[in-house]
Amino acid sequence: MKLRRHSGRAHDGGPDAALVADLQAAIGRDRVRNDSAERALLSRDASVFDDGVAGPICFPGSTAHVQAVVRIAVRHGRAVVPRGAGTGLAGGAIPLGAPVVVSLTRMNRILEIDHDARVVWVEPGVVNLDLTKHLQPLGFHFAPDPSSQQVCTLGGNLANNSGGPHCLAYGITNTHIIAAEVVLPDGEVAMLGGLDAEPLGYDLRGAFVGGEGTLGIATRIAARITPTAPAVRTLLMSFADVRDAANTVSAVIAAGIVPAAMEVMDQRITRAVEHYVHAGYPTDAAAVLLAEVDGLHDGVDIDAQAIAAIGREQGATEVRLARDDNERMLLWKGRKTAFGAIAQIAPDYYLHDTVVPRAKLAEVLAQTYDIAERHGVIVMNVFHAGDGNLHPLLIFDAREPGVLERVHAAGAEIVKASLAAGGVLSGEHGIGVEKQAYMTLLFTDDDLDHQNRLRKSFDPDCRANPGKVLPSGHSCADIQLLTAVPQGMWV
Amino acid sequence: MTAPPLAADPVLAAFAAAVGVDGPVAVEGNRTRWATGGALAAGTRLVQAPTGIVHHQAEEMIVCVRAGTPMAELAAALRDRGQRCALADLGGTVGGAIAVGENHLLVLGCGTVRSSVLEVRYVSAEGRLIRGGGPTVKNVTGFDLPRLLVGSLGTLGLIAEVILRTNPLPATSVWAMAADADPFAVRDALLRPAAVLWDGDTTWVNVEGHAPDVRAQLAGLRALGSFTEVAGPPALPTHRWSLAPADLRQLDSTEMGAFVASVGVGMVFAERPQPPRTLSPAVAALSARVKANFDPTGRLNPGRAPGAR
Amino acid sequence: MDLGIDADELNTCVQCGLCLSACPTFRVTGDETRSPRGRIALMRHVQLRDAPLTPEIVQSFETCVQCRGCEPACPSGVQYGRLIEQTRTTLARTHRSTPRWLRLAYIPLARPRLLRAGSVAIAVAQRLHLVPTRLGLSVRIPLRQQPIPASGSDVYLFTGCVMDAWQRDVHLATQRVIEAAGFGVTPTLAQAPCCGALHAHAGLTDHTRRMAHKMMAALRPDMPILVDSAGCAAAMKDYGHLLGTPEAGAFSARVFDVQQWLAQHIDRFPKVAPLDLRVAVLDPCHLRHVQKVHLDTRVVLRPFVRELVELDDDGLCCGAGGAYSALEPALAGQIRARKVGSIDRARPDVVASANPGCSMHLGAAGVPTLHPMQLIAQALPGRRPLD
Ligand SMILES: Cc1cc2nc3c(=O)[nH]c(=O)nc-3n(C[C@H](O)[C@H](O)[C@H](O)COP(=O)(O)OP(=O)(O)OC[C@H]3O[C@@H](n4cnc5c(N)ncnc54)[C@H](O)[C@@H]3O)c2cc1C
Ligand code: SF4
Ligand code: SF4
Repeated sequence: MKLRRHSGRAHDGGPDAALVADLQAAIGRDRVRNDSAERALLSRDASVFDDGVAGPICFPGSTAHVQAVVRIAVRHGRAVVPRGAGTGLAGGAIPLGAPVVVSLTRMNRILEIDHDARVVWVEPGVVNLDLTKHLQPLGFHFAPDPSSQQVCTLGGNLANNSGGPHCLAYGITNTHIIAAEVVLPDGEVAMLGGLDAEPLGYDLRGAFVGGEGTLGIATRIAARITPTAPAVRTLLMSFADVRDAANTVSAVIAAGIVPAAMEVMDQRITRAVEHYVHAGYPTDAAAVLLAEVDGLHDGVDIDAQAIAAIGREQGATEVRLARDDNERMLLWKGRKTAFGAIAQIAPDYYLHDTVVPRAKLAEVLAQTYDIAERHGVIVMNVFHAGDGNLHPLLIFDAREPGVLERVHAAGAEIVKASLAAGGVLSGEHGIGVEKQAYMTLLFTDDDLDHQNRLRKSFDPDCRANPGKVLPSGHSCADIQLLTAVPQGMWV
Repeated sequence: MTAPPLAADPVLAAFAAAVGVDGPVAVEGNRTRWATGGALAAGTRLVQAPTGIVHHQAEEMIVCVRAGTPMAELAAALRDRGQRCALADLGGTVGGAIAVGENHLLVLGCGTVRSSVLEVRYVSAEGRLIRGGGPTVKNVTGFDLPRLLVGSLGTLGLIAEVILRTNPLPATSVWAMAADADPFAVRDALLRPAAVLWDGDTTWVNVEGHAPDVRAQLAGLRALGSFTEVAGPPALPTHRWSLAPADLRQLDSTEMGAFVASVGVGMVFAERPQPPRTLSPAVAALSARVKANFDPTGRLNPGRAPGAR
Repeated sequence: MDLGIDADELNTCVQCGLCLSACPTFRVTGDETRSPRGRIALMRHVQLRDAPLTPEIVQSFETCVQCRGCEPACPSGVQYGRLIEQTRTTLARTHRSTPRWLRLAYIPLARPRLLRAGSVAIAVAQRLHLVPTRLGLSVRIPLRQQPIPASGSDVYLFTGCVMDAWQRDVHLATQRVIEAAGFGVTPTLAQAPCCGALHAHAGLTDHTRRMAHKMMAALRPDMPILVDSAGCAAAMKDYGHLLGTPEAGAFSARVFDVQQWLAQHIDRFPKVAPLDLRVAVLDPCHLRHVQKVHLDTRVVLRPFVRELVELDDDGLCCGAGGAYSALEPALAGQIRARKVGSIDRARPDVVASANPGCSMHLGAAGVPTLHPMQLIAQALPGRRPLD
């Protein structure tokens, strides 16, 4: 007996009935959703962009399911957009033109570990931190550790070529993807890369990583597993000026030390974070630098001492060594929740992700504060300093009239300042729909044309996540062709 | 503000002009891997890539180098400032090393070629200068053209200049050898060996890092075999076999002849060549589309294809 | 429609998604409509953008276990518990969703297996005259089967409403343990018949307020109130916020989870031989995510058992959720299966859980579960060893 009294409107599954019926027939009723609530939610990710429109949503359970979904979409003339946890910050998973959304969250099995190759086969919906936890008892971990690691998926990591604090020494996701089985936008299944030392042919796996869902859908991933070092030293250094922190970072690398991680947070962000984690971050310092070295016991001490000495030379007001694992975990928890913690100050944030040469860090940072002040917005800086990867967070309350324009203007200036310093547009979040307009600042038409040739090789008909990465005029911007805006959408 | 055109650099512009806009063309390096990927079609015009190190910024861990620069020159320049890169010095040029894409023997220590090319500047089949990637160690701005070009044997574009990631040289690097060790156990016992080699009997390891760590690791190894320090790796047979690391547990020396296998990597250096490998139909079709899109008239390195014998 | 949620509170969520993996319903479905971020977004759509309240949206809210695992996971400090309670209150008040107790009253009749769990809530509902007579429940389910004698007046032991045999045993054990630490115990019994937690969950907050007033009037203002059910303690600690008066605040400050209290007095226990058991600690959500005193359970248990082990799922909810397991059996079952997997990996002899609902829910899946107080009572002198 089922007792449910509803006073809401009747089920509004009207739009796309034929498409939905085909999808349901192929992969099962409970794996397809098409109600307005689901569509509304899957039209967004963690970015500020909210013009997306989702079509029917599928939750495949296997490569065969994904293949079936893609083929049906092709038949109905609809695009497909893969989606992991929806934590992307550049709008990569935002559906444009009511495409079929392929949510990979139910393909979340850890399949098999190959110890000789130090590789684990996983499905794309496996959560990054779940994988690391699974590997920990075996003495391994998955090295890319985005701050969103407790939720983001391997598929999303692969598609965005994500980074994390520990990518300084270990390299970003692309270094850790050995092979991927993908469903191409026409429904063909291909295994890109392989476990052998130097796979035959073009490095299509390397090209696929970072494709932001525009090259196909990864359905099985061979990820490198990294042995966990027996010794770790984590240093927390405080500075009276954020520039001293930045200069310390340059000086450490210049001294020939590549720590596992070097992260900087400015005062505003440190305060917000401390309020949340109570890790003992100094809230009176203008900036803190979190540096970590890992390896064998003697080496980590040698490096930690050298880093501490450099910090003091550069004016550190306090240098602290995490006493134990517990303190270390807390410090990292603070760093990793920095983006979320800012909502204590304002409800919206917009951030860029530029990378600048380390030697220019101090200079560009100072510019971000100037620019923000000129535009009357608040900027907070928390960044992967070792890589020169800035994350200037512009925080605001979208309900304040006119604020968005100011935020975007400030953002644009920050991007330009970073590029003028010899940097790049995105270090790890990708381009998505957020940063397309800036691509022409970095690349010529010829450069973009070649990127589009890569894209077109995988997806000649612009069926995979159209409207992303390349600016309009350089790619499959013509998503109108694939658009079928359903009726009954209320967002 | 717009992206600066590469053609503003007269050296690159001259190279692009030399490549021109039509007729079969290939870059000639030092011919150390001239036969890799098939024989160049007759009548192909040969051009030389520009040479010289443009800048080496050790504190940024990058080096910008012209593709025609001899590997020996690059390696020496990096060494002078306490650094190295993932490219092996096998007597060729920088561009050649990238186009062929073979990894260093110490790949576990210095990384793969494909992960070390941060930016490529190349001449397209249409004779245009193209930039892919960027000068910073971390960059996800747009699609990854550098990786596509690594190992492409010049069939998608002719490399003019690259920015490579560099790394500090380890403080200490020691080779050790034992005739009675299980190479797989050795590899598992070490945190980050730069290489573990095995010829079926003897195991060689390269351990790098801070001196006390290296000493401690070597001491630990003695439990696994009678290791003694040696000057370097063994001589390597000529032919490269690319296998999965797990395959190394059942190598067949009647098929490959004498060999030296890189444990944990899967690379095997053997007396006889590896039988041809093939691409799956889906990957072959995709590769063909890539080639057709980048080089519609097939003028770049005709006759060659990555993986072909 | 106005859900009555404070606009600023609704706006604190930045949609970052960091809460997703802490949510049991998202974990087993991978579906945004079953996630905290999604539920908050739907609240916004309904309240701020005037989206119609579709059945799917109602279902999204109804499938929330209200475990509040999303709160500690949220770096922005979003008070999700408040948002969903307010949403449920509005929906119940405007008859947009069937009140939980009513649905609950039906389900057990159709599903004998669930009667045990359901009878708890029905008894409460009957007591509070919530169950209409037309349901035909003529027999009044007794609230208390055996009196628990007072032994002094150092502390209250809140005995609440949950009245089956299992729970009575827990109260007796709890009392024994508190006494062993040298405190005289007054059981609250009929003075404080119910904390109102289930009502608050169902959106019937007015009832909860009434119960709070009643309890505050009945209990002496100078005695600490110890509670052995995590859900009840959480509700009582929230009276201060619920009623918004200084008296209620002072009352809430006197409420302690029994483990929390005993952890401060751990040195008053006699030294005893630990039970020869490997015990996995299962943190009830309302202990861990709401009261945030789950570490005290370990402090208190450790001297009394051979080995304490942690589960590897970061305190993810087990799916019991008060009446949830009866109302959403499919989801609750999936969530429990995940928990059981985690328990299996920890290989315990017995699981310790300080909440009756969790124990029953896991017990139904064949997992031997005892209250920490029961374990300690077993270890104290003068008791037969556990069979
Ligand atoms: C608080 C917070 C902190 C963050 N910190 C970091 C950080 O430190 N470093 C960092 O790099 N990023 C960070 N991010 C960004 C984001 O978490 C990463 O980009 C992450 O990898 C996205 O994973 P996801 O599963 O959420 O993917 P989604 O957001 O769902 O998707 C991202 C892209 O991948 C595509 N995609 C997803 N699955 C597949 C698949 N199987 N095959 C093909 N394409 C697919 C989508 O189409 C989309 O283009 C952060 C985000 C937040 C909210
Ligand atoms: S509730 Fe908190 S953690 Fe969840 S999406 Fe909102 S801000 Fe992020
Ligand atoms: S209270 Fe529990 S079930 Fe509800 S949204 Fe939060 S984590 Fe999910």
